[in-house]
Amino acid sequence: MAESSLVLTDVSKSFQHRDGFIHALSKVSFNVRKAEFVSVIGPSGCGKSTLLRLINGLRTPDSGSIVVNGLTPDEARQQKKFAFVPQNPALLPWLTVQQNVSLLNNLNSRAGNPGMAFSDQRQLLKRIGLGSFLNAHPWELSGGLQQRVCIARAFALKAPVLLMDEPFSSLDEITRTDMGYLLLKLWEHSGSTVLFVTHSIPEAVALSDRVVVLTPRPGHVTEIIPVPLSRPRQVSMEDSTAYHQTLTEVRATIAAECSS
Amino acid sequence: MSKTNHSARLTTNMQRARKLLLLIAPLMGVTVFLVSWEVYVRVSGIRPLILPRPSVVIGHIVEHPAFYWKHGSFTLLEASAGFFLAFFVAVFVATLMVHSEFMQRATMPVVVIVQSMPVVVLLPLFLLWFGFSPWPKIITAMLFTWVPFVTNALTGLRSVDTSTHELFKSVNATRWEIYWRLRIPNSLPYLFSAGRVCVGLALMGAVVAEFFLSKDGLGHTAYVAYSRLLVEQLWGSVIVLAFMGVTIVLLLNAVEQKMLYWHPSQHERNHPAK
Repeated sequence: MAESSLVLTDVSKSFQHRDGFIHALSKVSFNVRKAEFVSVIGPSGCGKSTLLRLINGLRTPDSGSIVVNGLTPDEARQQKKFAFVPQNPALLPWLTVQQNVSLLNNLNSRAGNPGMAFSDQRQLLKRIGLGSFLNAHPWELSGGLQQRVCIARAFALKAPVLLMDEPFSSLDEITRTDMGYLLLKLWEHSGSTVLFVTHSIPEAVALSDRVVVLTPRPGHVTEIIPVPLSRPRQVSMEDSTAYHQTLTEVRATIAAECSS
Repeated sequence: MSKTNHSARLTTNMQRARKLLLLIAPLMGVTVFLVSWEVYVRVSGIRPLILPRPSVVIGHIVEHPAFYWKHGSFTLLEASAGFFLAFFVAVFVATLMVHSEFMQRATMPVVVIVQSMPVVVLLPLFLLWFGFSPWPKIITAMLFTWVPFVTNALTGLRSVDTSTHELFKSVNATRWEIYWRLRIPNSLPYLFSAGRVCVGLALMGAVVAEFFLSKDGLGHTAYVAYSRLLVEQLWGSVIVLAFMGVTIVLLLNAVEQKMLYWHPSQHERNHPAK
C-alpha cells in the first residue's frame, strides 16, 4: 500500500457564534495516499472548506490530529508543502499572468521550495493555452482563463499537496468540464496529492480516485467511495456504466444522510 | 471592402474626437463658469465692490504676474509640504493600526480629536512654538488633510480580498510580504481618492494660516486686499488659488490613471460602456 500523504484522525472543530457554538466538524478521519486524487463532497455548510483550512494550518482543530507528509500543518505550511486553490481565482489585478503565476514561488523564500523555474512556468502556461496571454492582466481574461492561471500558479509551486476549494464553482458547465480534464492532465504529470472540495457529484466522480462523503453539520465522514475508473481519464468514460454506478452510489449516500 | 475601411476610419475618427473632447472638457467647464459669471455681473449691474467681473480680475492677474507667482509659490510650497507630511504620517499610522488591534484602539480617539479640533484657534500657539517660519502653515495644512488620509489608508490596507489573503498565508508569507505586495497596492485607489479631497484641504489650511501668521502667500494677499478693499487683488488671489487646486487635481488624475491601470475605475475611464 502506498504511503499516506495526509492523515486525519478524529478532527473536530467548532466556532464561537453570537448565538452559541457552531459544530463545523466532528471526528473526521481519513487518509489520502501520495499522488492520489481525493474529492470531498457534502451538503452546504458541512465544513468542507473548514477542513481545508485545518489541513493547511490556517485554523487549528479543537481535537484530533492532522499529519501532512510526516509534518504538522504549521510545519508543512512553513515549508510551502501546500498549493492552495481558492474558490475565486484570487489573482492580483496589478500583476500580469506571468507575474501572478510566479507569485507564490517568490513568497517565503526561506522555505526552501523555489518551485518551478521561470522558463518552465512559461512552458506550463503555453501548454495550457495561455502562451499569448503572458503579459495580459487578469481583468483582460475570461473567467475560464483566469481559473487556468490560478491552476498554473498552484502547479508552478511544485508543492506535494494541492488543496482545492471548489475552484470551478463559478464557471459554466462546458468550461467547468474542460477545466476538470485540464487539471487531471497537469496532475498526472506532477505526482502531487490532491484534496478537492466540490459541490458537484459528477465532477467528484469524473476526477477522483476516491470520494469522501461528509454528513450535514457537524460534518463527519459517512462513507469513502472508490471510483473504479482507470487513468488517464477521458470524457468518454462519463458514458461508462462504472461512472454512472459510482455517481448513483455517491448521490444515494448524500441523499440518505440529508434525509436522516 | 471599401465599405469596411470607411466604417473603420469613421470609428477611429469618432474615437479621436471623443478623446479630444474629454481632454478639453475641464477647460470648457471652467470657461462656461467664467462666462456665466461675466454675463451675470454685466446684466445685473452689480457693483464691482460686491462682485467684480472675472475679465477684470484676470486682467489684474495678467498685469501682476510676478506678484501672484511669488505669493502663489509660497502657498503651493507650504500646502505641498503639509499634504505630503500628512500622507506619510497617515500611511505610517494606518500601518500600525492595521497590524495591531491595540494600536487601532489607542489611535482612533486621537484621529477623532484631530478631526474635531478647531485648528484656527491653535494658530497663535503655532506662532509661539514655531515663530514666523513656514512650519505653522505646514502644520496647519497637515492637520487639515491628515484625517481623510488616515481613514482612507486604513480602509485600503484593511480591505484586502479574503481569498487572496489566505493564499498568501497558505505559503506562510511574512507580514512584510503581505503588506508590501498585497496591502499597499490594494490601498492605492483609496489613497488617490483621499488625495483629490486633500489637495483642496491642504491649500485651504495653508491659506488660513497665512491669513493670520504670514507676510507671504495668497492667504496674506487676500487678507491685505480684504482689509484695504482691494477687490481685484482679493478675487485675483482666490482665482490663482482655484487654478492651482484644479491643476494639481488634474496632475493627480493623470498619475492615478498611470498607476491604477488595473483598477476597475480606470477600465471604465479607458473603455467606457457604449
